[in-house]
Amino acid sequence: MSEHMQYLEEKRKIDSYFDKGYQIVSIFENLSGTFVDFVTSHDAGEREIVELQLLTAEARKYIASKLIVAN
Amino acid sequence: MSSLTGGQISLNLTDNFKEIHPGLTKREAIEEANRCLYCYDAPCIKACPTSIEIPKFIKKIASGNLKGSAKTILEANPVGASCARVCPTEELCEGACVLNNETKPISIGHLQRYATDWAMQQRKPLFEVGERNGKKVAIIGSGPAGLSAARELSLLGYQVTIFEAEKEAGGLNRYGIVSFRLPTEVVQWEVEQVKQLNVDIKTNTVVGIDITTEELLNQFDRVVVAVGMGNVPHLGIEGETLKGVYDAIEFVKRTKMEEPTNELVGKKVIIIGAGNTAIDAATTAVRLGAANVKIVYRRTKNEMTAYQFEYDFAKQDGVEFRWLTAPTKIIGNEQNEVVGLECIKMDLGEIGLDGRQKPVPIQQSEFVLETDVVIKAIGQSRHIQLIERFGLDHSKGVVEVNPETYQTSQEKVYACGDVVFGNGQGEAMVVTAAQQGKEVAKAIHRSFVLQSEIA
Amino acid sequence: MADLRINLAGIKSPNPFWLASAPPTNSGYQVQRAFDAGWGGAVWKTLGEPIINTTSRFAALSFNGQRVAGFNNIELITDRPLEVNLKEIYETKKRFPNHAIIASLMVEPKQEKWHEIVKRVEEVGVDGLELNFGCPHGMAERGMGAASGQVPELVEKQTYWVKEVAKTPVIVKLTPNITDITVTAEAAVQGGADAVSMINTINSLMGVDLDTWNTIPHVAGKGAHGGYCGPAVKPIALNMVGECARNPLINVPISGIGGISNWQDAVEFILMGATGVQVCTAAMHHGFSIVEDMIDGLNNYLDEKGITSIMDIVGKAVPKYSDWGDLDLNYKVVARINNDVCINCNKCHISCEDTSHQCIDMLKNEKGEPYLKVREEDCVGCNLCAIVCPVEGAINMVEMKQPLPSMTWNERQSSIARFKMDKVAK
Repeated sequence: MSEHMQYLEEKRKIDSYFDKGYQIVSIFENLSGTFVDFVTSHDAGEREIVELQLLTAEARKYIASKLIVAN
Repeated sequence: MSSLTGGQISLNLTDNFKEIHPGLTKREAIEEANRCLYCYDAPCIKACPTSIEIPKFIKKIASGNLKGSAKTILEANPVGASCARVCPTEELCEGACVLNNETKPISIGHLQRYATDWAMQQRKPLFEVGERNGKKVAIIGSGPAGLSAARELSLLGYQVTIFEAEKEAGGLNRYGIVSFRLPTEVVQWEVEQVKQLNVDIKTNTVVGIDITTEELLNQFDRVVVAVGMGNVPHLGIEGETLKGVYDAIEFVKRTKMEEPTNELVGKKVIIIGAGNTAIDAATTAVRLGAANVKIVYRRTKNEMTAYQFEYDFAKQDGVEFRWLTAPTKIIGNEQNEVVGLECIKMDLGEIGLDGRQKPVPIQQSEFVLETDVVIKAIGQSRHIQLIERFGLDHSKGVVEVNPETYQTSQEKVYACGDVVFGNGQGEAMVVTAAQQGKEVAKAIHRSFVLQSEIA
Repeated sequence: MADLRINLAGIKSPNPFWLASAPPTNSGYQVQRAFDAGWGGAVWKTLGEPIINTTSRFAALSFNGQRVAGFNNIELITDRPLEVNLKEIYETKKRFPNHAIIASLMVEPKQEKWHEIVKRVEEVGVDGLELNFGCPHGMAERGMGAASGQVPELVEKQTYWVKEVAKTPVIVKLTPNITDITVTAEAAVQGGADAVSMINTINSLMGVDLDTWNTIPHVAGKGAHGGYCGPAVKPIALNMVGECARNPLINVPISGIGGISNWQDAVEFILMGATGVQVCTAAMHHGFSIVEDMIDGLNNYLDEKGITSIMDIVGKAVPKYSDWGDLDLNYKVVARINNDVCINCNKCHISCEDTSHQCIDMLKNEKGEPYLKVREEDCVGCNLCAIVCPVEGAINMVEMKQPLPSMTWNERQSSIARFKMDKVAK
């Protein structure tokens, strides 16, 4: 898979979590990339935490851009 | 610019008259400009009759200062765009380039064209008229010598009027040089540059008919005779009035005035003479679709006056050369059309007054070359009538001038360009004519400065 | 005709082109020839205790046939007594009252030495002083030049001593042989410098002869490091000028030096914050007459842009020079190949394939003719292909409109900061 395809896949996941109302609770960066923890919104009963590992540089830019747009 | 390549003949005749060399690309120009050593006291400058500061204009191409580059060229040579194309550069600047024995000389002509082409595209005036000094100068002829004198005089503040017999200004450059080497637009631009300096150019005006020499002398403070030369003289052989006999000057001129016609397609053509005009006529004939083009010359290749690159160019175009061959008679049919040229074989004999061996006919060696067209290119006649109307001293139509001031035997009359060329005076090149025009302007200016000092 | 006059910390000259302190400004004869040719100012070859030079002093780097791409010297400061130089400075200034003459000075780092030389050169009417804290060879071994220029305290202290007595503007010339030139530039400003100039030459060894194993140049079979200058150092100098120009603590004019060969180079330095420029190598290569095109080209450039005075463009590019953390990460350019212009040398393909991001494909059209195409989605916009491309216009870097807003690294880091947690790697 080309890096671009990999980015599109990661972007799709980020977008889908946001679409489903998930919110970011943690962003953690280390030698392996960026780890983003999403959590379901407060209203939705039991809270579920999903961790997404971003491998591509484009996705690491994208996630922060989403936060800037949201603010 | 002399690295022409011939031999590219199209069935579409109009294409054959488009400028052969496409001009340098930006990259070629930058690379070539950076190859220039920027010599001090450079030999190329000394080899240029107009002393263009060649390393300076090339350095300016390298630095991206194209306006400065074009100005450097045109300051020294008002017809620098034409000269970039027609100068025999290997005899002049490029021949003097110090890199000749080291690698290969800088393509000065091509670079000069690159800078002047840029200026042409800008369509902005590069020079400003000098403060008017109230003096009026008439210039007869708008060829390179006349234009050059006009430009310089106008910069010095003179009110200049040019009288031009033809429909359009430009003289030899406009009508006499084949357009695949010098396109009309280039000449028109150079004329325009001079016009922008408030020079009045009266075309379709023949001095001696539309205005008399007396009127000129009365109405102007100085007169510059820059009328060039006339048409090709008669051969003095039988058959010169047949249909299919052309004057080379007229022949070339027609291609500069109208779209090419098909009348030479498939024809056999013979040119008599081996000077640069003969080459122009021959290569023009090839470009008009002639099936076979021959040059006949009564001497050999060593004596021909055409430049080597002109000769090479004609050879590339497939022109045949018949050396030691002199025409004796043009043969016609019942319709008075040319069908052949009778020639006689020649031999070189004693050395004549001009230092060249004289051609001598070989008895009973006559033979006939079949041909449909004969083009005469054995030199040019002189405007003796006009010269005598001004009362100028001349020898066989070559106006005699003071070699420093270009002043004629009449105090108020100066002469420059081809009208003073011949009998050992100067070189018949566009660039020489341009330089003489500059010198005439300087001399005229000096004559007034001297006058005011005396007063 | 634009106004080319400059005023650098009170030093006025008819144009921004000065000769740098170096062999071209060794004598009155040379400086007067330079002024006749059109140079606006000259920084006299450094005055100090006369030295002794070696023979064999210069060497140059030819790059693929282009001579003097870089230049190296082991020549020291003036080898003539101060009186001789001062007499010639006086005579030159008398002949050219409107041209700038700046005396370059170098003495031991002692207050009385500086006081003495400053007073003596100012007596003959120089327009300013330039303190040579940069010469990297020879003098540095004696504790002067770069040796003192590399120690911020010494720069500050010596500048201060000079300012104690100087009546004319003081320019401090800085050495690039230091990690961060803004530190010494700040020290100069602290010491009271009216301006700074940069860069002096960079420590260098031009080469080693493959047959004799001698250094290039060598003196009787031995060599020592020299100072490097010429076109090759221009990017280094331009950065240092830019770094100083955008530093608010270095609030004095800058005289730009380093590889300036033509008017275009000069404009770049001036846009990047230099109030004028100094030239040496180009003059050594071609003679003083090169200034004619520098003036003419600069003038035509300003006229073309409708700018009436050169002083109006000083520092105009400085706000565009920033830190990496302030660059927009969402800005995107990609390479696009113009196949009408491309000559199919495949250099873009191989440079991308081997050394960048493998996004230029070698393809064939329906006629079986080869062509190159960029997979734009995989292109990172690095410029490499356009850099190696030999044909102008064959590869263009095209801006791609981004749906995402501008976001710098610094903005990214602060936007994710609130989600950052102390976690160890999993």
